Amino acid sequence: MMENIKIWFDRNLKGDPIIWGIVIILSVISIVVVYSATGSLAYKYTGGNTEKYLIDHSMMVLAGLLVMWVAHKIPYKTYGLIGRFLLVVSIPLLLFTFLFGSTVNEANRWITIPVINKAFQPSDIAKLALIATLASLLARKQKNIDDFRNAFLPMILVIGLVSGLIGLANMSTAVLLLSTCLLLLFIGRVPMKYILMVVLVGGLFLTTSVFLGQRGGTFFSRIEKFMSGDEIPFQAEQSFIAISTGGITGKGPGKSEQRNTLPHPYSDFIYAIIIEEYGMVGGATVLFLYLALLFRGMRIVASSTKPFGGLLSAGLSFALVLQAMVNMAVAVGLGPITGLPLPLLSMGGTSLVFTGFSLGIILSVSRGDHQEQLDSPAEGSNKVRKTFQTA
Amino acid sequence: MNIKRSIVLRVRIAFILVALFAGAIFYRIVHLQFMEGEKWQAKSETLNFQYKQVTATRGNIYAADGSLLATSLPFYRVVIDPMMAKEDVFSKGIDSLSYFLSSHFKDKSANSYKRMIRDARSDKKRYVILNRTQIGYQDMQKMAKWPIFRNGRSGGGVIFEKVEKRYRPFNNLASRTVGFVNEDKNGAGIEYSFNNFLEGKNGKALFQRIAGGSWKPVFDAEDIKPDDGYDILTTLDVNIQDVAESALLRHLTNKDAEFGCVIVMEVATGQIKALINLQKNKDGLGYGENYNFAIGDQGLTEPGSTFKLLSMLALLEEGKINLKDSIDTGKGTFKFYDRNMNDSKEGGYGKITIKEAFEKSSNVAISRLVEDNFGHNPSKFVAYIEKAGLDKPIDFQLKGEGVPYFKKPGEKNWYGTTLPWMSIGYEAKLTPLHTLMLYNAVANDGKMVKPMIVQAVARGNQIEEKYETEVVRRSIASSKTIDQLKELLEGVVENGTAKNVYTEEYKIAGKTGTAQKLIGGRYTQRYYTSFAGYFPADNPKYSAIVVIDSPKGFAAYGGDVSAPVFKEIADKIFAQDLELNEKENDKTYLTSNSGTFPMIQAGKMDELQMICNKFGISNHVSGETEEEWVKSTPVNNAVIWKANKVDSPTVPDVTGMSLRDALYVLENKGIRVVYQGKGRVRGQSINPGSPVNNAYVINLVLG
Repeated sequence: MMENIKIWFDRNLKGDPIIWGIVIILSVISIVVVYSATGSLAYKYTGGNTEKYLIDHSMMVLAGLLVMWVAHKIPYKTYGLIGRFLLVVSIPLLLFTFLFGSTVNEANRWITIPVINKAFQPSDIAKLALIATLASLLARKQKNIDDFRNAFLPMILVIGLVSGLIGLANMSTAVLLLSTCLLLLFIGRVPMKYILMVVLVGGLFLTTSVFLGQRGGTFFSRIEKFMSGDEIPFQAEQSFIAISTGGITGKGPGKSEQRNTLPHPYSDFIYAIIIEEYGMVGGATVLFLYLALLFRGMRIVASSTKPFGGLLSAGLSFALVLQAMVNMAVAVGLGPITGLPLPLLSMGGTSLVFTGFSLGIILSVSRGDHQEQLDSPAEGSNKVRKTFQTA
Repeated sequence: MNIKRSIVLRVRIAFILVALFAGAIFYRIVHLQFMEGEKWQAKSETLNFQYKQVTATRGNIYAADGSLLATSLPFYRVVIDPMMAKEDVFSKGIDSLSYFLSSHFKDKSANSYKRMIRDARSDKKRYVILNRTQIGYQDMQKMAKWPIFRNGRSGGGVIFEKVEKRYRPFNNLASRTVGFVNEDKNGAGIEYSFNNFLEGKNGKALFQRIAGGSWKPVFDAEDIKPDDGYDILTTLDVNIQDVAESALLRHLTNKDAEFGCVIVMEVATGQIKALINLQKNKDGLGYGENYNFAIGDQGLTEPGSTFKLLSMLALLEEGKINLKDSIDTGKGTFKFYDRNMNDSKEGGYGKITIKEAFEKSSNVAISRLVEDNFGHNPSKFVAYIEKAGLDKPIDFQLKGEGVPYFKKPGEKNWYGTTLPWMSIGYEAKLTPLHTLMLYNAVANDGKMVKPMIVQAVARGNQIEEKYETEVVRRSIASSKTIDQLKELLEGVVENGTAKNVYTEEYKIAGKTGTAQKLIGGRYTQRYYTSFAGYFPADNPKYSAIVVIDSPKGFAAYGGDVSAPVFKEIADKIFAQDLELNEKENDKTYLTSNSGTFPMIQAGKMDELQMICNKFGISNHVSGETEEEWVKSTPVNNAVIWKANKVDSPTVPDVTGMSLRDALYVLENKGIRVVYQGKGRVRGQSINPGSPVNNAYVINLVLG
């Protein structure tokens, strides 16, 4: 029996098994915690039918895993092309959303796909597409990475354009994406003086879009409030209460009290609910799982034979884990309130699908066999396992 | 490989940075739990949050013409968050704000207001109720312009907390029908019966408990927005309601009666145009709308002679009698088993036709006819009651409808005397609404429609639910029978017990009823008088029932007590209803049109004079004083201006005026205007000289 399962896994779930494991563990945690945290939401909107959110969310988690599985089947080299294509598509989408999208908290971030009637954020696509494109650009220019005009200029233009457009409606995501890109440039051996230049240009773009955009006021007032520190915002206060009353082992599954007063306990502040219900132990476990995920993503960089694969994997891993870190930092009061969900854990609807997509890409790189098939089909899959172990 | 090694190295550096960041997060968790733990745990106990309801605005109730019968008016409580205003705004505005507050509420000096706000600000209080008095919308608008307040909620800290109160623009008019709902969701009338629509769906918002037991909203917007209630559009006609109410009240007072009710219904549609219930107040002074006798349980009584209509219906449908047949009522007494049936006239009516028996409301005649024809099979008679739909509640739109009571043959309490007494309206119980439904069906050529009082549920102009006229019975009897019944009812007014309400202008048809009241198991000398009928009898438009309970004095019969109320209401409706009056108006128009100058009829004198002078028509003013508004009278080849006193406090005469002038004159008096047609005013629905009531809607016909 166990044997059969193992064989099935080996045949169907290729790539780094540890990443698979981490993702599955986080998905299970996500379903359990979201179920508990949506209590007040269900009470308010569905008259107590908590199962509605449980089922909806579980379906999205499964959809995310399915997309991840499909994505890891595709040879990662294709993602350079797919990335560029998505980037071209996402720019008009971002503009369209900014102008006509549906409004949540006074910012247009969502558009609804007509047939399946699910809302999604085009910034999710743009984020993925930008990282893939950047990885491919970096990989191709490795030989003359110091060349400002030919290597650096195209990259910075693309980064500036996309983060600027995202920043119109969602400053936090834009800043996070810009930081991830900077990190990726650094990893991709772009000279530091150029990176500093990007900081300047990016900063310029962001400030411009703040004045043009919808939520600039909110963004800066949040930062200002955080910096001055004299008044703790309501959300943060409630989050701190959740964390400090959780204790070492927590109040137990489904026993959160703060979920009733903490806004968005199922997304922005899910980490506080995790600590409240599962204690410091639970919080540390989640923290560790994300670090482990990043660590495995980093191993792929070392094991990959082509720069594109490594940079792609690094970029996506860092994008995901950095967002997780920022979300958790907000919950514990290390940063201003951003409204970014915790990837893989928050109830985020279609965002989970895009997270699944980027994890699928990472896994596709980790398989190695795609690489071998493309580069030197003659070599067998034994070698692949070996690279893995030595990596 | 150099490049690869460099990339791997850089990734490791980045990883270490992230790992350090994760360490910081973990440290914060430890810090929050161990260093700050007590502080937050203490805070969690003092902070008291709760999701509280944000009540939806209750819908309005409208009369058929759109006048408001009940609405919710917003009132506000003035609260300030003294911490919100910036220092310069605060110090600049506090003096004048305190002054304004003091002069508005007149309960504290400007200085004590100033001290109160200042102290609260230095104590870092976030919520101070400035005054418990609730202010109206106008005052709120005014206050929003005061210093500090004018900077709004975020800049000045002012919070206007909305409280809603139910308000009836017409006070007691139809107040029982409009009804009420109390906090336990009990109530009466439309407010209660349509509460599901009216109340809307309450929203929810997070509130924080603050010192003093008040709750303060945490965020500006609600978490779940309340869904405002729907409006209810009734079929009530404010004018008819008003006319009927004052007529009933006057007669109740004259007769010192216990209670009375009136229902006026449109024949074709079953729409109730007026529904009045007046009961002597507990303190004995005046009358008030306390119970819906027209519909409710307490209105169930033995109907008395109005029920004879059904007996005649049954007899005629059976085809056993002819109206011209004669019957001997003898000396006014007839013994059924051990009980005497008496006629109201001492000595009896002798030998009369069946038609006369109905007109004079002879108990002996009707009960004998019914006993002769149905005595062997009383179920057949009861079947006619059922066929007419009188034995069951009509499923009226208002809750709390009385359930009719009829004995059934074969039951224990069915005696030999039951049928004869039932035939004259005893030993059975009906509400006035049921009786009216039967009369309305006769007026409507046998088609029985269900009475209705609400025609639509709407939000703004969006109709949510529309209630159409429901036909209960396509035909309650053959058309021959119906025609005969109509003849009988008209006869009652022409020759019978309601002769006193006969009028030449139009035909009234109806039946009086006088039932002895059964109190404590014995028939007393107190009466339940009623009159049910319809008008104009040739082409019935309205049916109505008038009930007056326990009138005092000699003339205590339905014909003397209730019928005059019916007549008074019918007269007023007839005078106001342009459709009914169409022919009349044509006549007057033609006579006034026979003058030489048809186009100059009424208006402002200076304008009319100017026109006449331009056209070379000689014109003179009758009387000495110059008047602003005039009416014209052609005399030979000249026009004479006669003063038209439109500024007297009564409804002005606007006939002959152009619509522009008529609108100006009428709306200046606060009368709402509805008009049809084109040209000059040909007729007005409220007679000139009537006292002005702001609730009036005047209907103008132009032509």
